[in-house]
Amino acid sequence: MKNASTIIPCYAADTSGVCSALYELGGMTVVHDASGCNSTYSTHDEPRWYDIDSMIYISALTEIDAIMGNDERIISDTVAAAADLHPHFIALCGSPMPMMTGVDFDAIAEEIQQRTGIRTFGLHTNGTRSYIEGASEAFLAIVKEYVHDCPKTEGIGVNILGATPLDIPWNTTMAGIKKWLADCGFEYVSCLGMESSLEEIKKAASAKVNLVVSYAGMAAAEYMLTEFGINFVTGLPVGEGFSEQLGENIREAAAAYEYGCVSAEGMGFDDSTGKCTAVIIGESIASKSLAGALRLDAGIDAKVICPLPADEVILSDGDMALYAEEDIKAALEEIKPELVIADPLYRYVIPKESRQIELPHFAFSGRCFGSRMPDLTKIDIKEFLK
Amino acid sequence: MIKLALYGKGGIGKSTCTANLSAALASLGKRVIQIGCDPKADSTINLLGGQPLQPVMDYLREHDDEPDHIEQISKIGYGGILCIETGGPTPGLGCAGRGIITTFSLLEELELFKSFKPDAVLYDVLGDVVCGGFAAPIREGYAHDVLIVTSGEKMALYAANNINKAVKNFEDRSYAKVKGIIMNRRSVENEEEKVRAFADGAGLEIAADIPRSADIIKYEDMGKTVIEGDPGCETAKRFFALAQRLIDEDETNE
Repeated sequence: MKNASTIIPCYAADTSGVCSALYELGGMTVVHDASGCNSTYSTHDEPRWYDIDSMIYISALTEIDAIMGNDERIISDTVAAAADLHPHFIALCGSPMPMMTGVDFDAIAEEIQQRTGIRTFGLHTNGTRSYIEGASEAFLAIVKEYVHDCPKTEGIGVNILGATPLDIPWNTTMAGIKKWLADCGFEYVSCLGMESSLEEIKKAASAKVNLVVSYAGMAAAEYMLTEFGINFVTGLPVGEGFSEQLGENIREAAAAYEYGCVSAEGMGFDDSTGKCTAVIIGESIASKSLAGALRLDAGIDAKVICPLPADEVILSDGDMALYAEEDIKAALEEIKPELVIADPLYRYVIPKESRQIELPHFAFSGRCFGSRMPDLTKIDIKEFLK
Repeated sequence: MIKLALYGKGGIGKSTCTANLSAALASLGKRVIQIGCDPKADSTINLLGGQPLQPVMDYLREHDDEPDHIEQISKIGYGGILCIETGGPTPGLGCAGRGIITTFSLLEELELFKSFKPDAVLYDVLGDVVCGGFAAPIREGYAHDVLIVTSGEKMALYAANNINKAVKNFEDRSYAKVKGIIMNRRSVENEEEKVRAFADGAGLEIAADIPRSADIIKYEDMGKTVIEGDPGCETAKRFFALAQRLIDEDETNE
C-alpha cells in the first residue's frame, strides 16, 4: 500500500494543472472525462472561476464511447464548439479512463487541427500525476508554439514562470511580485500562469531573465534557455534578505553570458548543517525560498520536504523528496523539528511536540483555507514565526 | 531507422518470424531492439538461449517504484539484441492493452532509443489489433511499417484482413502503414495461391516466403533461432534476404 494516503489528501492532479496554466490565455481546454461536470478542475481547483471567463469543457465520455473507442465524438463536438467560440488554440487532455483505453491525444489533436485550422495540442494528462506535471507540459506547449525571437527589453526584462493560483495566491501575491520587480528596477514582461494574455506571452523572448516561481515553470524556463539563451533564476521574493539576494541574482543572470540557472542553493544557503530546527513541507521553489528567508531573516535552518516533482537544482542535500504519507510521517518523527511550516491538513501527520505554522496551499487543500493563503511577498518573517 | 511491427493471428508464428528477423538484422551488423507485446512474454525467448525474460509488467507488479535503468527490464540476447517483454496482467484480470501502453511510456521515460541508439526496432504484437493498447506499436514515433504474418489457412487470412483494415482506419493519423505480408507456410493446399489472392485483393506484396521447415522447431527446442542454429539453411536465407531488403530500403530512405 505504498503511496496510499490514509490521512492527508493528495495534491491537485495534472488535469487541474493544465486547466490552471491555460485559464487566461483564450484557448479552449477540453478534458476527456466522464460526467460532463467540470467542477473538479474549474471550481474546486480554480479560484478565478467566478471572476474570469474561461473556455474549459469536459467531453462527457460515456461507457460505450470508451469501450468502442469512439474518438469521433470528442473530435466532432470539439470542432463544433470551436466553430462557435473561435478560441486562440485548443488543448486536449486526458483523465484516468482515456488513460486506461489508451486514447492517442496527439492523433486526435491532429485531426481536430486539420478540420478547424486552429492550433490544437494533445496534452498527456491522466489524472494520476500532480498538477505540477500538467501545468509544466501546458506551459511548455504554449512557449514552443507562441514564443519567438524578438528584440530585447532596454532594461532587465523579466518573465514570471509557473505562477498558477494552485501555488501562488491569486489577487495578492502576483501584484506583490510585480511590485517587487518594479522596486528592484526590473521590467515586467509576461507571466506564465496568471494575469498575462497570449499576446503578452508572445513577447516573452524579449526578456533577459526568467524568474521561475514554481516548479511548474521549470520546463518552459529550460526550453527558453536553450532556444533563446534566456537565463533563469528560481525563487519567490520572500523576506528581506532572500528577496535582496534574489534581486541580485536576477541582475547577475541578466549580465551573464551563458549563465543558466541560479537556485537557492546557488545563493549560498546550506541547509544541511545538522542544526535543522524547522521543516517546510510543500512545493519546492516556494519552500526553498521560505527556507532562505528563515535563514537570512531569523537565523533558522530549515529542511524542505517536497512531496511534488522537483530536482537537485532546487533541493539541497538535506532536503527530502518524499511522496508517501508514511515516509513523510517517518521523516518528521525522526527529525523531531521544533517547527513545521505546512498546509493545515498536514496537522495530522506532524509530531505532537512540533509546533505548526499553517501555510495553506491551494493545490493541497483547495478552497478550504484559500482565503488564509498569505501573500508571501509581504510577510515579515519574524511576525510570521510568532 | 528500421521500425517494424509484426501482427498476425495467434499461433501463426509472429514471434518466430520476429526473432529470426531480429537475429538476421543483428548478424548483418545492426543494433537491434525486439519488444514483445504479448502477455505470454515469450517473443524473445529464442534470442536468449531459451531463458525467459522478466516482463516489464512483472517488474512493476513486484516493485513499488518504476525502474531507473533499462537493464532492470531488459536482457541482451543473440547478436547483442536488446530484448524487452511487456508481459501482461494475471490471465483473466486487468487490461493487457494498457500494459503495452504503460511499457511504452516507461521506455520513453528511460529514453531507450536515445541511449541504445538502435538501427532497428521490432515490435512483436499479440494476435490482432483488438483495442487501443494493441495499436500502440503503430502510433507515431514507434513502428513505421507493419508486416502481417499469415499462412494460407482461412482463419489466418481472415485475421490478416482484419489487421489490414484496422491499420487503414488510421490513415488520417500519422500511424504506421502495412508494408506487406510474411507468408509463413503451413503446408496448406494451394497455400501460395490463397495468400497471393488475399495480397492482391488488399494491394499488398508478399515481402517474404518462409517455408515450412523442421529446422525452426529443432532450433527452438534448443532455445535458438535458425539464424543462430544454422545460418546456411534455406529458412535462414529467407530471413536474411528480408533483413537485407529492409536495410537497403532504410538506407535509401535516409
